[in-house]
Amino acid sequence: MLSELINPYYLQVATFILLNIILGVSIYITLGTGQLSLGHAGFMSIGAYTSAILTLNYNVPLVIGIIIAAVFTGFIGVLIGFPALRLQGVYLAIATLGFGEVIRVLFINWEGLTNGAIGIRGIPHLGREILSFSESLGFSPGMIGLKNNQFVSLAVFLVLLIISIGVIWFFIRQSNSRIGRAFASIKMDEEASEAMGINITYYKILAFGQGALLAGFAGALYAHLTAYISPSDFGYHRAVEILIFAIFGGSEVIWGPIFGAIFLSTMPEFLRVISEYRFMIYGALLVLMMAFRPQGLIDTNVVNWIKRPRLKKKEGKHGTGNKKDK
Amino acid sequence: MNKRIKLLFSVLMVFSLVVLTACGNNTKDAGDKEIGADGAVKAKIGVISYLTGPGAGYGEAITNGLKLANKELKEAGEVDLELKIEDSAGKQEEALSAAQKLMNSDNVDAIIGPTLSTEMFVVGPEAELNGVPIMGTSNTAEGVPQLGEYVFRNSIPETLAIPASVQKAIEKYDVKKVAILYGNDDVFTKAGYDVMKKVAEDLNLEVVTTETFQLGQSDYKAQLTKIKNLNPDLILASALYNEGAVILDQARKMGLDVPFVGGNGFNSPEVIKIAGEASNGLIVATPWFAHKDDEKVKSFVKNYKEAYGVEPDQFAAQAYDGLYLMAEAVKNAGVADRDEIRDALAAIKDFKGVLGTMSFDEDGDIVMEPTVLIIEGNEYIVFE
Repeated sequence: MLSELINPYYLQVATFILLNIILGVSIYITLGTGQLSLGHAGFMSIGAYTSAILTLNYNVPLVIGIIIAAVFTGFIGVLIGFPALRLQGVYLAIATLGFGEVIRVLFINWEGLTNGAIGIRGIPHLGREILSFSESLGFSPGMIGLKNNQFVSLAVFLVLLIISIGVIWFFIRQSNSRIGRAFASIKMDEEASEAMGINITYYKILAFGQGALLAGFAGALYAHLTAYISPSDFGYHRAVEILIFAIFGGSEVIWGPIFGAIFLSTMPEFLRVISEYRFMIYGALLVLMMAFRPQGLIDTNVVNWIKRPRLKKKEGKHGTGNKKDK
Repeated sequence: MNKRIKLLFSVLMVFSLVVLTACGNNTKDAGDKEIGADGAVKAKIGVISYLTGPGAGYGEAITNGLKLANKELKEAGEVDLELKIEDSAGKQEEALSAAQKLMNSDNVDAIIGPTLSTEMFVVGPEAELNGVPIMGTSNTAEGVPQLGEYVFRNSIPETLAIPASVQKAIEKYDVKKVAILYGNDDVFTKAGYDVMKKVAEDLNLEVVTTETFQLGQSDYKAQLTKIKNLNPDLILASALYNEGAVILDQARKMGLDVPFVGGNGFNSPEVIKIAGEASNGLIVATPWFAHKDDEKVKSFVKNYKEAYGVEPDQFAAQAYDGLYLMAEAVKNAGVADRDEIRDALAAIKDFKGVLGTMSFDEDGDIVMEPTVLIIEGNEYIVFE
């Protein structure tokens, strides 16, 4: 029964959706302080390469490798954050884009460590590691009526689900805290926030570092999900893809990039039926989206629209005007 | 319940209904794996191909080759293969999702593809885990068949192609000094360079200089001037045809008239189209030569031209032979069973296809003689 329900294909797609959600959240954090970064693909590659090299060459356990990779990328993010502070808007976007390219070229040319353009293969796979670990404990997937491949996909999916729920929970908590409010205020008006006594340098670097840490974390997971990475996986198109999650879904609330990641990763799978045309439709969708809803699909109004009924009981009809509702 | 929540729920319900029906369709066509009434062995073959994006040309040639082969096989009536073609868009994640869909939703008996070696590195281990035989028809990187017991390929790796062409060039032109030029930011050209370097060492050639360029570069004069001043007898160029043709053009304009040896990616009729006269003197080793004096090749070229209006390239030919190999395995296995097909594939010996005589070694790698070609008078001819 259970074994018929678990299809590795759906789990595979779901796993990549979860990974994209983490990436979407990572860009959301940086955007949350008004910093437009195109360097997230670069951070992702640092995380991916760090974890891959540690686990492959130095036999570091997978979990520790991923954590070190995330922390290391966060550290690099903080370092980049200092000079980036002086830049705003388009200038920051260009600078971070340049950073991403520098990292990519570095990985291409540092052949001794990264194997150049050929990339690193045979990276320990998250699911297969879990399988061999559970087998060493005397547990085999057959005991609960699963095949090995089903167990692997299921385990990976569950691990990622727990991680993403944890990440989302953390950042929702953060956005309702002192830090979150400081971020929001900086996004609105930097000078005014400074006048109110908010330490702009600290919060902007914190946001940049958090975004980098999360992107590096996602990158490390990516390396262990595909078991193969090469510098071309983390090029310009990847940076834009990550940015689109937030732009499409909306970057005002955390649900925006989450929705964007879910929608934009499932779209190509649903459109598989019309294979050759699917990316055309994908592109057309983005253009329409930008024309009619430049702030992204999900913004504060939408969240309020969903939440409002509950407020109505408490507050009556004082809310912001949604006229149809009267 | 509130109106809005109701609306939200109904949208969700409709959505999940659509998803459910979609799943329903997929599971329905699983499990028709018996021998047909006319005695033909039925099997379902999944195809992962690069159909959208910058490399879509490769995917198109591959699927065309497969479709032609399948049509002929159906007419012959010994096997009845059903092709399930999925797009990978040249991305590892997409290729992996497509492979999972084929293996688990469509329950295919074997897979042909994916197009790129980078995709194969991700898909191969997964197919191995699922126990599905998979054959790459265009993967040339080192280490592909070593991914697992179930992983095969019928495309010749660079490690076979480049030594063959260099060897022949040395014999003919009495080469002592070579210069190497390669693209260092692409998997394909970088892998070709690694082989070239090793070949030069093995054959005791003096490498006067090693120059690099990047994908999409348009000016190679700096590298070529340096090479010209060092006066090599031969230039080994690991480039894809778009860059390679421009390199040839600029080299000839500079008066650099020595022959070039290219890798697998340099082998395309496009080179002659782009570089014209300048392309003369390019030597490549290839598994596929369209003007070979062979019945099979002639009829394949004729049928392909009739169906698609162009001459088949290397990728179409490799895919065509790939499906024939798969069909041979299915026929010998006699039943559409993944393990049986794997064993039958591994047992194939001296199979005659349009590429030549093919066998698999113990890793699942192809064993065959590549043909060495040279461009002379704006045409590919056999190099002797």
